[in-house]
This record gives sequence, structure tokens and C-alpha cells, in this order.
Amino acid sequence: MKLNTDMTVNRITDEIWEIPASEKPGMLVPARIYATRDILQAMDSGVFDQVTNVACLPGIRRYALCMPDGHWGYGFPIGGVAAFDARDGIISPGGVGYDINCGMRLIRTDLTLADVQPHLERLMTELFRTVPAGVGASGFVRLSGEEFSRVMTHGAKWCVERGYGWHRDLVRMEEGGCIEGADPSLVTDHAIKRGINQLGTLGSGNHYLEVQVVSDEGIFDPVTAAALGITGHEQIVVMVHCGSRGFGHQVASDYLKVFEKCMGRYGITVKDQQLACAPFRSPEGQEYFSAMNCAANTAFANRQVITHQIREAFATVFGRSAESLGMELVYDVAHNIAKVERYPEGELVVHRKGATRAFGPGSPELPEVFRTTGQPVICGGSMETGSYLLVGTDRAVRDTFGSTMHGAGRTMSRAQAKRTVRGAQLQQQMKQRGILVKAVSMSGLAEEAGLAYKDISEVVQSVDRAGITKKVAQLRPIGNIKGCTHRYLKESNGSTPMSPFPRSFYEYVFFCQSGERRGLGSRSVDSWLSHRE
Amino acid sequence: MADVAFEAEGESVEEVFRGATQALLESMANPVTVRGGWERAIERRDEDLSELLFDWLSEIVYWKDAAGVVFREAPLTLTQEGGAWLLRAKLIGAPVDQQTQELHADVKGVTKHLYRVGQEGERWKALVVLDI
Repeated sequence: MKLNTDMTVNRITDEIWEIPASEKPGMLVPARIYATRDILQAMDSGVFDQVTNVACLPGIRRYALCMPDGHWGYGFPIGGVAAFDARDGIISPGGVGYDINCGMRLIRTDLTLADVQPHLERLMTELFRTVPAGVGASGFVRLSGEEFSRVMTHGAKWCVERGYGWHRDLVRMEEGGCIEGADPSLVTDHAIKRGINQLGTLGSGNHYLEVQVVSDEGIFDPVTAAALGITGHEQIVVMVHCGSRGFGHQVASDYLKVFEKCMGRYGITVKDQQLACAPFRSPEGQEYFSAMNCAANTAFANRQVITHQIREAFATVFGRSAESLGMELVYDVAHNIAKVERYPEGELVVHRKGATRAFGPGSPELPEVFRTTGQPVICGGSMETGSYLLVGTDRAVRDTFGSTMHGAGRTMSRAQAKRTVRGAQLQQQMKQRGILVKAVSMSGLAEEAGLAYKDISEVVQSVDRAGITKKVAQLRPIGNIKGCTHRYLKESNGSTPMSPFPRSFYEYVFFCQSGERRGLGSRSVDSWLSHRE
Repeated sequence: MADVAFEAEGESVEEVFRGATQALLESMANPVTVRGGWERAIERRDEDLSELLFDWLSEIVYWKDAAGVVFREAPLTLTQEGGAWLLRAKLIGAPVDQQTQELHADVKGVTKHLYRVGQEGERWKALVVLDI
């Protein structure tokens, strides 16, 4: 088997692969990758390098894990899961990600494709208007500093108190949309000033709002689907993918700096600067955890305000209240977060970065409504391939610290995608297939083309076969709003820079997750890496 | 994860700072389409050149969100004083306007992923990855 690594990778099952702890000096536990053989072979070298770096961090228990949608991230791989002993282990912003509590939300409706199709253009326009996205987007919610502090401590509960949602929404969110232990006094003024006007905005990058259809043949488990409000028959649902915006990023950046400075004092060395960490029980570790929870709650609130706007848009277009349209929340789940959870080893600080909690029906942490189904898991695919609703399993709790995949995972850099796909052409092709896309720029649309991602069906299949999540339904997109479809950075291979600034001073390179990079007379990213190390 | 990276290169460290600054400004908006009107003078001092560039670029991202602006230019000077580097810069921009400006990515922050500032032979170089 040809892999993008020289490390020994042993087959445990057809969906589980293990890198022994002997493969890299300093590894405290083996690394395990959940993937089919084909997915494993397509994984970039960064995944193998990063997951084994994580296995070296103090206090790690059992395995450093990577899910099948794993790819090269900052420090930890995206798709990474690692659990550290709460007594003597660490907490690391790199294991959470910059976009703290980036997550997925799914809203059901009683509407069918036949109801929506004639109004789709108007609906997408209304959603595009009411849910701000892109550079400098600010939400309609105006907050005082005191109120923003309440958002940090109360999350989605604050929204419901203010009328942006229904009380019953809260039951259908991870942690009820409000994580305890958030302390706004530990958040910098910089972070607050960045975040205070961003509530209810999608952001940029790969964030999106999508109108989707569930057909009968897209339902794999009718009983569980029905229990979650998914009925099929060309049912319309709405998916939201976004997080804590610039606020969460600032919290992560602020504490990375703190950790870089204090690591030496705690005798911690890391193989990558972005793995900077501190003992969980140290003052710095506890302060980051509290600040991170502020950002996590803000992300829950962000998605709740967006939900309110979505409901308003549907009510406007269909002339009926959101309640009468059956617009109930299916679930809201985080996929960039660290949480203290109890396992046989004791209390562990479980880091999930581009990975989703997946508690099974037997988990006492779940509210009554999910005790028979297991916790819903929402996995976003690309605009073309669709997305999935799954549920967690008790096996996930046993094997993967209650964790599973979060999305399709990229296989192609943005630059590669742009060269391969033309945005306008893609938009036309998608329209012919019944998918309406609202995009500011055609180039940005090409960046999110389906071929830039792994085949989500195969990714889902591998976690289903591994038993750590169970497929419930496939969700097919018919309308999409991208958080960032703006054209950015003209590639510099001979083209004229966008400003009169002398080109020799700089060049733009794009490599993203694949390590591929373009530019004038540039050296490879790998050589940068080796030079740095 | 969504990201974009750039490499800045120059004969002096000041040129690298200018190049990296320009690349960041252009990653957010086409500066040519941004009128002036909003200005902010910024002065930063650090013994560590790498940290100084990182903090400066992060400061630009901060003002983008905190003031809701994008930028036309950011003239700067870099000098050495008493063993530390001193950056004096001015951010010039305007409030975000989707109708008149060519907006690009909403940069969330500067990362330390592959981050590097250093001298290679006669040339100075910096590699920066932005999270978008």
C-alpha cells in the first residue's frame, strides 16, 4: 500500500490504522487513523506528521486519533481527536482550532421541494439579505459591553431570552447551547472589540448556509430519522456551518502567545509551535479554558441568531410563521472545542478539532429526547455532494472518546480547485442539477467545488463501518450561500498585481492542506518545514 | 480550515515588512478600490523581529474587525533603536462598502503555521499563512 509517509502504519481493521509509538521519538501513545484504505492512501503527509506530534503531548491517553476527513491543519490535524488527563495533562489552543466552536446546525421544516421550488430564487435572495456574510459583515444585533458579556456566559440561552429563538431549541444543542465556566474577564479587550458586532454573521472561508432536500431514498434509518423530525418525501431542511468568527480567533491567538511564553516554565517542549500548550490545571490552562468557553458560547449564540434570521426569511417568503412551517431545530453540534468528559481513565480534556462529539444512546450526558436515538451528528459535505445526518454510538464512547468525523475534508488546494473548475461554469452546471448558488464571485465558488473535497459518502461509510457513528439520512443541496465567495488574491504566475506595488517585493502562494504551492521561483513548503525544524 | 499564504521578499527587512503588509491588505480588499478617510497611527517596538511582524499584521486584522474598515495603504518605517526594532506605521482605509470596494477574504487572523521571518543570503524573506 502506497502512503504519503515513510512511517509504519499497521492495519487494525479495514477502517482503523495504527502508527506505533516507536515511530517517532517522544510519542507517548500510538496514533490511530480511522479511514478506508483508499482514504488513507489519499491522506497528505501532514496528517501522519501532525497526528504523531500530538501523540507526544504530555498527559495524552490511549491514542492520538484522526478521523477519515482528516487533513493538514495548524498544529493538530483537522479531524484530530486527543484526550489528556485533567490532572496531569495539557490543554492546547491548537487542538481546538482558531475558530472556537465552529459547528453545524440543522433545522427541519414541514415544507417539501414542491412547496419551495417555485420560491427558491426569492428565498435564497431573502436569506442572502438577512444573514450577513463576507468581509466586514456586521450583524443586526447591537450589544453593549455588558450584554456581550452575557452572550459569553449564556450563549444561546441569551438569544432565547432576547426572543431570538424558542426555549425548546436549547434542548437540541450540545451542552444546551451554554457551556458553564465562561469568564469574560479573561477575554482581552481586543477580542471583545472584534466580536461585539459580529453576532448573527456567517463569516468567510468555508462557512455556509444551505437549503437542502431529504428524499425517501436518502433515508438510511427511518425510525431514527423520524425521531429526529426527518420524514423524507422531499422534505426541506436548512444547514448552517459557522463559528465564533474573529472573536474566537482572537481568543486563540491571545492564549497561544501566553502558552508560548509559559511552556518552558512547565518543562514542556512541542514539535510544532502551534501545539503550544499549558497544563490544564495551571493558571494559564484554566484561564484559556474559561476564555475558550466564552468563545464557544458566542458561537452557539451566533448560530442561534442566524437561525432566527432563517426563520424570519422563511416566514416572509411563505407568508406563515416559522412555527407553523415546523422549523424545529434538529441539533447544533460543535466540531472545534475542548471539553472535560468522564471516561474509564477518569476526567479527560477531550480536544476535538474538525471532529464531532458522537455520544451513543446510553450516554447519561444526553437529554431525554436523544436517549433512544443517540446524539445527532451533522456532517457537511461540499455544495455538489451533499451532507449527512448521523447519530453517535456507544462504541464511539468506548473507542474514540465519543468522537467522529465532521465533514468531507479537502483533497485539493484552493488554487488547484480554481485551475480545474471555472466558477461560472460550475454555477451553471449546479443550476442544471437544481442547486441555486448565491455567490459574490465566481472564482470563490470554484474554490468550494465538490472535487476539492473527499467523497463524503466514502468518508461517512468508513465511520459507519467502524461503528463510531450510524448513518441516518443524506441531505441534498438545492440552495447555498457561501460565507466567503469573494475573490481573493490574484495568483502571481505572470499576472499583473492588483496594485501598483512592485511585485518583486512579495508573491502570493497557495498551498492550503495539500502542501501544493505556487509562485515565482519559490521553494517547496516541505523545504520550509524541514528548514524550520 | 480555510487559509491563504504569501511570501514576502526584499533586500531589507523593511521591504519585507512592506511586502507582507501589502499582501495582507490585498488579501482583504483590492486597495485601489478603497478610498481613504479612516486613519490610525501605530507604533510598535520589539526586540524580536519575527514577533514584531506577527503583531503588526495581527493589528491590521484587528482594526479590520474593530473599526469595520478595509485598507488602501499602510506606509511604514522600520528602524533599530537601543537593541529593539521600532515600527512606525499609518493605516489608511475606509469603512467596508460592498457596493464600491472589491472585497476579498474576511481574514480571521495571522497564524504561526509555517510562519517564518529570516535572512537568506542577501535577501530577507517572510512566509505567512492567514486563516480566513
